[in-house]
Amino acid sequence: MGRGYIVEDAVEGYLSNLCEQQAAPVTGLLIGQSSAQRDFVVMATRTPQREESTSALDKEWVTEHARQVSRMLPGGLSVLGVFIITDADAKDTLTTLRQLVFAVENLISSDNLWSPADDDITDCVTLHVNPKTRKTVCRTFDVKDPKSMAKPADWKYQLGVCSSWSMVSCCLNVDMLVPLPDNRASTENMDKCLKEGLKVWTHQIESGVCLIDGKKLPDDTDLTSGQKRNVRQTYTAQLLITPDDQRLPDVVQRCGGSVSVRGAIHSRAYLHSNKPKARLAEKLLKRDVVSTVATRVQMMLEELLISEEEGKGSKDKQQTEQFCLPRRIFCPVKVSGPVCVCDYQFSDEGQSEVTDRLKEMLDMDAAEEDLDTRQETPAEILEKVVEAEPTVEAVEALEPKRNNYIGVAMATAVALLATAASMLYLNDV
Amino acid sequence: MVVADSPCSDTGTILRVRGPLELTCRLDSTDALHTHKVISRTFQTLHSQVKSESCVLTVCDSPVIIWPNRGIHATPEEISPDTLCEDLHQWIQTDEQESAGKRSAKKKSKKSSAVNVINLRLMMEVTKTGPVSAPILSKTVQKSHFLSTTLPIDCVIRTTCNDTIKDAFERLLAALTHQLCEMEKVTLQHMKGTSLVKPEPLHFLLPEPKGLVTVVYPAGVPDSQLETQRKELHQQFELPDDWPFFRRANAYHFPNEPYKDGYLRNPHLFLTHPTLENGKVYLVQGIYSYHHYMQDHMDDNGWGCAYRSLQTICSWFQQQGYTERPVPTHKEIQQALVDVGDKQASFVGSRQWIGSIEVQAVLNQLLEVTSKIMFVSQGSELASKGRELANHFLTEGTPIMIGGGVLAHTILGVAWSETTGQIRYLILDPHYTGAEDLQVITDKGWCGWKGPEFWDQTAYYNLCLPQRPKII
Repeated sequence: MGRGYIVEDAVEGYLSNLCEQQAAPVTGLLIGQSSAQRDFVVMATRTPQREESTSALDKEWVTEHARQVSRMLPGGLSVLGVFIITDADAKDTLTTLRQLVFAVENLISSDNLWSPADDDITDCVTLHVNPKTRKTVCRTFDVKDPKSMAKPADWKYQLGVCSSWSMVSCCLNVDMLVPLPDNRASTENMDKCLKEGLKVWTHQIESGVCLIDGKKLPDDTDLTSGQKRNVRQTYTAQLLITPDDQRLPDVVQRCGGSVSVRGAIHSRAYLHSNKPKARLAEKLLKRDVVSTVATRVQMMLEELLISEEEGKGSKDKQQTEQFCLPRRIFCPVKVSGPVCVCDYQFSDEGQSEVTDRLKEMLDMDAAEEDLDTRQETPAEILEKVVEAEPTVEAVEALEPKRNNYIGVAMATAVALLATAASMLYLNDV
Repeated sequence: MVVADSPCSDTGTILRVRGPLELTCRLDSTDALHTHKVISRTFQTLHSQVKSESCVLTVCDSPVIIWPNRGIHATPEEISPDTLCEDLHQWIQTDEQESAGKRSAKKKSKKSSAVNVINLRLMMEVTKTGPVSAPILSKTVQKSHFLSTTLPIDCVIRTTCNDTIKDAFERLLAALTHQLCEMEKVTLQHMKGTSLVKPEPLHFLLPEPKGLVTVVYPAGVPDSQLETQRKELHQQFELPDDWPFFRRANAYHFPNEPYKDGYLRNPHLFLTHPTLENGKVYLVQGIYSYHHYMQDHMDDNGWGCAYRSLQTICSWFQQQGYTERPVPTHKEIQQALVDVGDKQASFVGSRQWIGSIEVQAVLNQLLEVTSKIMFVSQGSELASKGRELANHFLTEGTPIMIGGGVLAHTILGVAWSETTGQIRYLILDPHYTGAEDLQVITDKGWCGWKGPEFWDQTAYYNLCLPQRPKII
C-alpha cells in the first residue's frame, strides 16, 4: 500500500514549463503537507541557478536551497521531497533522488529544535519527470530508515488542493535571557548560548497548554466538525507556559555578559481540509513558533558573522549592542488561496528585496502589493536601554547589511554548522 | 436573585496554587548592595507578571482555566466570576481508586475533617493580539555573574461554601503577592556573595481557627538554625512554646497526596471512640505510622512485635519533627543495643525478642529521647492505671509500648472514667501480617479499643512511656 499524493494542478503546468525551458537536468523541491491518510503537494520550486553555472548536479546546492526554502514555509508546510527533470537512466536517477532526499531531510531536521513526534510522517517523495515523454515516476523513501527501499506512490493532479485549508495563528511574546561564557564573547559563543536558551524555551513551548478559539480542546477533536465543508476557517490560538520544574540547577555563575531576545512574533500553521484534529493544529503551530524564532536568531547570527569577517564590526568594545531581528512578511501562494509562504525582512531592506527572494527561492512572481506586512512591524530600538543594571555605557544599534546572495549566506551557514552539507555525502547510499 | 448566606455543611475547600517562577538576572558586581538592588528589581518584574493579564491559573485535571487579572475571565464559558468555588469540583476528573487504604462504602467512617483541595497551576500566557513588533537581540559584554533559579511558588487559601471564584481568586492573588515578598526577604537575607539559597514555602496546620499557615524557609538551612524564626512564629500565633508546630517535618500533608513510603498514618482516627459514663478519651497527639509484622520485606513473624512497636514510636518522633533520623530497621535497633553495651555483638541479625527496657535504651541511643518505665506485677492491675495513662497522653502525647506475657503492643490512648473507674485501651497491634488495608485493620481490630480483659491477668507487664523533649 503506497502513499497517495494529491498535487495542485498548477504544479503540472510548472513542471511542464521546466521541461521545455531549461537544459536538463533540472532539480527542485516539492512543498506541501503530509498526513496519515494522504499527502498534499501545494507547490514546486526549481533549484535556483548558481552563479558558476555547471550543468552537473550540485547536491550541496540542492540541499542548501531546501534549507533556505524551509525557512520560508509557515507551519504545516514543509519540503516533502525532490523532483528531477532528466532523460537519464531511471535507475541512476532514482539513486540520485534517494541521495538528495535523505540529504535534504537530514539537513532540515538538524536545524529543527523541536522533538520529533510519534505520529510524524517520515516518508519523503521523489519525482522523476522525463522531459521528452513527460512520463513521471513517483517513489517514496522512509528517511528514518537508512536502508529504506523505494516504494511506489500515487501522483494525482487536482484543482484547488488547498483552497479550503484552515489556518491557526497567534502572536507570541518572546523573552529570553542567557549568559555568555566567561571568555571572549565571540559570535560563535553567542550562537551556542542562544541555542541552549532556545532549547529550554522550545521545551517550555512544547509542554505548554494550547487553547484554540479560547478553549482547551481534547486532542482528538475534529476542528472542522460542525462547519460547512469546503469553507475555510481561521482559528486563534493561545499558549500558556510555565518554566521547567526539572531544569538546570539553580546557580550563580561567572559569565562574560548576557544575550537577550525580547519582542513578539506572529506564528501560523496551515491544516489540510481532511478532518484535521486539534492535536495536529497544536503540534504544527508550536513547531512554527519555535522555527520562526530560531530562524531569525540564526539569520541574525549569520549576518553578524559576515560583518565580523568583513571587519565591519565595531572596533571599540561596546558594552551593550542591540540588533533588530527581521520581521515576518507573508505572501499568498495563489492569489485566491489561503496558504501563504513567508520571508524575513531586515530593517534596512525594502519590499523589493523580499519579492526578489520569493522569486529566487520559490520561483514565485509576487508583486509588492501582494505582500502581507500587517502581522509584524519592524523592531524598534528604544533610545534608552531599559536594562536591569544601570551601569550600561555606550549603546549603539548595529544594523547589519543583509546579503542577498544565497551563495554568501550558504558559505556562512556552512561555517556555522560544524557538520555541514558536505558531511552528508560521506556515506554514499 | 438574592441568595441567603446558607450555613456551610462542611469545612469548605482549600485552593492551592503551585508553579515555578523564573528568577533570572545579571549581576555586574557581587557586592551586597548591588546584588540586593538587582534582585529586588527582578522580584518587581515577577510581581508585575503575577498581577498582569498574562497571569493564568489552570485547575489541575480539568479544562478550567482562569485569568484572575482579566475580570476573572474563565474557560469553559459556563464559569463566571459569580460561580461558587465548590462548583469547580464538578469539573475535576477524580481518580477512581483511593491511594492509601480503602474505605468501606457502607460505614460512613468518622473522618477527622473532610478537607477538599483544588490544585491549581500558575502559568503565563505568552500569546497576545497583534500586530506585534519584531524581537530585538541585545548583547551585553561584561565580566559579571549570572543568576538563574526558579521560585517554587506554593500558596493556599481557604474558602467557605459561599465564596465565589471572584472572592477566592482575589485572595489568592493577594497570597501570591505576599509570598513573593516573603521569598524576596528570605533570598536577600540568606544570600552571601555568590551563594544562593532558594526560598521554600511550607504549609503548617495550626489549631482552629488559625488553620493553614504558609511559612517561607531557606532551603537547605537545617531546622536547628531556624529556631529564632520558629520562636517568632510561635509568639505571633500564640502557640505553646514546648510543642513543635513549625519544624519541616510538621509540614501539612495534603489529603490528596499519597505518602511516598506507603505506611498508614493514624488509623485510629477512623474508629468510633467508646463513651463511658463520666468518661473521657485521652489520645496520642500528632502523627505516627503503623508498623507491623512482615513489612519492608522483613519476616519477623513471631518475634518482632516489640521492634515494630518501637518503630511506630520512632515514626512519631520523626513526624513531629523531633528527629530527622528515619525509622530504624530491626538491624539498626539491634546494633544500637550492642553499641550501648546492652547486648553482645552476636545479637545483630538474630531473632531475639526485646522488651520495654530495650525500647527505652534504643530511644535514648538513637533519638536522645528519655522514657519512663511503668511496672505492673500482674495484668489485672492495669485496670487501675487509668489516671497515669490519661496524664501521659495529656502531657506527653506519645505512643506507649507495653510488653508482657509473650506479647508486645502499642497503646495509643485510653478511655477512662474517674468516677466509675471504667477503662478501655486503644491498642495498635504489631502482630498484623497483612497489607496496608485500612478497612481490614479497623474492622478486625488490629487497631481498636480493648477492655481490661485484653491483658493476661496474671502476667507482669512493663510499659515504656517516651517523654517528648520540650522544644520547638
